[in-house]
Amino acid sequence: MKVRRLIIGLDPVPRRWALIEEAVAAAGRMEAELIALFVENAALLDFAQLPFAREVGAVSAARRALDAQAMERSLRAMAGEARRMLEAAAGRSSVRWSFRVARGSLVEVLLAEAGEEDLVIATAGHPAEHGRAWKARVVHLDDPEQALAALEAAGGEALVLASEDVARLREALRRLARGQQRDPD
Amino acid sequence: MASSSAPPVPELVPAQLCRSCDPSRFAFRTTEELEDLPLVLGQRRAVAAIRFGIGMERDGYNLFAMGPEGVGRHTVVRGHLEQEAARRETPSDWCYVFNFETPHRPRALRLPPGEAGRFRQAMARLVEDLRAAIPAAFESDEYHARLREIEAEFGERQERAIGAIGERAAAQGIALVRTPAGFGFAPRHGDGVMSPEHFHKLPEEERKRIESTISALQEELERAIHDMPKWRSEAQRKLRDLNRQVTRTAVTSLIGELRAQYAALGEVVGYLDAVQEDVLDHAEFFRQPREGEQPMLFGLPLPLPEAGEAFLRRYQVNVLIERTPGSGAPIVHEDNPTNDNLVGRIEHIAQMGALVTDFTLIKAGALHRANGGYLVLDALKVLAQPLAWEALKRALRLREIRIESLGQALSLISTVSLEPQPIPLEVKVVLVGQRMLYYLLHAYDPEFGELFKVAADFEEDVARDPENDFLYARMVATLARGAKLRPLDRDAVARVIEYGARAAGDAEKLSVELRDLCDLLRESDYWAGLAAREVVGAEDVERAIEARRDRAGRIRERLQEEILRGTLLIDTAGSRVGQVNGLSVVTLGGVSFGVPHRITARVRLGAGKVVDIEREAQLGGPIHSKGVLILSGFLAGRYAVNRPLSLAASLVFEQSYGVVEGDSASSAELYALLSALAEVPVNQSFAVTGSVNQHGEVQAIGGVNEKIEGFFEVCRGRGLTGAQGVLIPAANVKHLMLGREVVEAVAAGRFHIYPVATVDQGIEILTGVPAGDRDALGRFPPGTVNFRVEQRLADFAERARALGAGPGPRKPARGKARA
Repeated sequence: MKVRRLIIGLDPVPRRWALIEEAVAAAGRMEAELIALFVENAALLDFAQLPFAREVGAVSAARRALDAQAMERSLRAMAGEARRMLEAAAGRSSVRWSFRVARGSLVEVLLAEAGEEDLVIATAGHPAEHGRAWKARVVHLDDPEQALAALEAAGGEALVLASEDVARLREALRRLARGQQRDPD
Repeated sequence: MASSSAPPVPELVPAQLCRSCDPSRFAFRTTEELEDLPLVLGQRRAVAAIRFGIGMERDGYNLFAMGPEGVGRHTVVRGHLEQEAARRETPSDWCYVFNFETPHRPRALRLPPGEAGRFRQAMARLVEDLRAAIPAAFESDEYHARLREIEAEFGERQERAIGAIGERAAAQGIALVRTPAGFGFAPRHGDGVMSPEHFHKLPEEERKRIESTISALQEELERAIHDMPKWRSEAQRKLRDLNRQVTRTAVTSLIGELRAQYAALGEVVGYLDAVQEDVLDHAEFFRQPREGEQPMLFGLPLPLPEAGEAFLRRYQVNVLIERTPGSGAPIVHEDNPTNDNLVGRIEHIAQMGALVTDFTLIKAGALHRANGGYLVLDALKVLAQPLAWEALKRALRLREIRIESLGQALSLISTVSLEPQPIPLEVKVVLVGQRMLYYLLHAYDPEFGELFKVAADFEEDVARDPENDFLYARMVATLARGAKLRPLDRDAVARVIEYGARAAGDAEKLSVELRDLCDLLRESDYWAGLAAREVVGAEDVERAIEARRDRAGRIRERLQEEILRGTLLIDTAGSRVGQVNGLSVVTLGGVSFGVPHRITARVRLGAGKVVDIEREAQLGGPIHSKGVLILSGFLAGRYAVNRPLSLAASLVFEQSYGVVEGDSASSAELYALLSALAEVPVNQSFAVTGSVNQHGEVQAIGGVNEKIEGFFEVCRGRGLTGAQGVLIPAANVKHLMLGREVVEAVAAGRFHIYPVATVDQGIEILTGVPAGDRDALGRFPPGTVNFRVEQRLADFAERARALGAGPGPRKPARGKARA
């Protein structure tokens, strides 16, 4: 399948943004436009507005009170940071790119954006149930090798590659780019 | 004039003034025909000591080669060491390597001679090979698969823990929400989180229940998060094990090759074992991360191995000493024996303003280089360097080289520092120095005698006999050849031998000061070259000696000039009471010359004291003072045994403005004193040298040749009258090696040299009046010098007694005495 746009979703978990580098490289090699969607999780904002909202640190295990304003500030700052990262990576190549901030759930936002000949990279667990409704083929990556096969098997509909494991997604992007290059068909 | 008590002293004949060397005794024409002298001349004792010291392989038998400068101590020592060193086996090579157990104590490795460099290369190659083999192992599918396994296991464990909490929360209607920095819990509503509005609409009871459920879940989550570092370290341990397993095959096979190569060297094998373990533990340092790529583990960036190259320095080999197989024992001459140059040093590199070091910056010292052989040092230089002497002794005492910098020893600097493993030391040290140093060290340093048991005492001269004359000629030949000089003809050699005797200050000795002799040969060669001669002749040697004398002659000539101009008062004709020409020797810049001095004496009634004006003015040295005190003893013992010595005399070196030392003028002072007491004038045509004892015997002095020549030159400057001459101690006749001009003047009867054994002989020559011996009644013959002196002293004593008895009886008594 010829990829028109490569769409990546970025959620407010900075360690998952490492795939930006590979996405830029893959988009460059596939001659596709790169769309980065920073998704502000609506559930997070709702959560922050609850009177007893507390965040337990992922490493420190420290409990910290949250409020909606702080959460919004934090999300804005993160979106800015993600954009800078994309800018820096894309600046080194000639890829056409755009960056947008959306609100909702990551998978829904991505599927809403995806159209024909789009390749979507989703850092999400099991978005399979959304697939049929949105006319996209969703492949949950267990192995980066699957990516190439999935791309070859795909028709005009959008292809979503999903995994919670960013390392796996990155590896898949690397292979896709290589595979495309070796085999221009 | 009364009859003379002793036969007159015969003046010396020219043959006695200079023992010339007869060139016709030599069978050779030029030194070209002479064989080299294998050893230096006249150093039998020193050579035997050196042989013994070198051969004696026990602790403490180090050598001290002592003697004056320029007698060839270094040459003799080096010659013997070279002979012995060539026979001895070549000592080991030494390296410093990293100590994996205690990094601040680098490990010393001993290797067979010539092997250290090869070992260094082998280790460098090993590191290169490992840098290829280890990344290859890390690239293997096996490694990747197992790495993913470990990563997945850790990830799953984490996810499981969080997931389990999420599920328990879901069962209670609570959602686990991922926040930017962690997790939160919120009540569910449908698929999402309950909105705040909805929550506020809930009955209070329900709200409370939710809050308390969430609080319990948060606690549970905290506990799970607390467990995570434990899992992470467990995963990391698994990863380390994996790294070891994956790299082991490559590492053991590469190091195994080296191990087989050095199987005979236990220490090296031990080191290689340690290297193997260390490489396995730190395999990741051999991976070359691609540029800009941050190594990741479990999704977290790994710290970059601190500059890979820097880490790999630990596998380098610092070759401290590398020998050439079969080259024999080393002979090291350290000209600048500082503490660091002796025991080695540890250099530092400035890094971000701090000084850092490692085992590759250890540098060898002279002791390392000489280990297994010989170290030659100049004693004075060692002693002049701070702590070098102590460092040398410590190394010899402990028989090991321990590198300790001065800054460290004195706690001056406190920086990253090393304590390299000491290296066993087996060395023979030869100190070369002056005798004084040897005796001082022996007296004041208790360890010195323990550590330097063999003294090689070098002579400065050798007996002059036909055999030695010939050997001396061979030595001249050897030196001339060695310095690539023109050969000398036999007349020139004879002149050099005469010079050698003059340098020794003794007609019966030859100086073996090689440096001076060498200089003379070089200078003679220069003059022969100017004269376009192929062979150095006697006239070239003569010219060299003259030119040398002239170069150093400014002060001598100025003094002579001032005497001739009358600025310095010296009489060389006429007679004066209480005035004698004394002679002194001035040594400046290694050149000696004689200068006449006017010595005067005044006498009067007094308390029996001879005042030495030089001493009173603190210009007289202790030996000079002693000479003057002896005069009192002589006067009292000879002339005033039974009555008080009621004399006050003063003695002075006129126009002397520096310190006068030595007792060689004591006879001159005595003559001045006797002349003053006897009121007999002294012939100023003479100059006098010699010390005197309490019995009036004249004793030998030094510098006799210079003294005679000094007076001769003054006389010649004024014109020789034929009456002038010098009185010297008879014991000094054997030391005479006078210049040609003096000898010729004596031969022509225009100058005279008298060997004097007693004061009586001397005073007769100086005054022309007999000294006089006591007769059977113990009286001196009237008219003699001794008679007059005795009378004068008796008169003084009488007057003193009369003065002491009061004014009454003084006058008649005096009148009576006179009558």
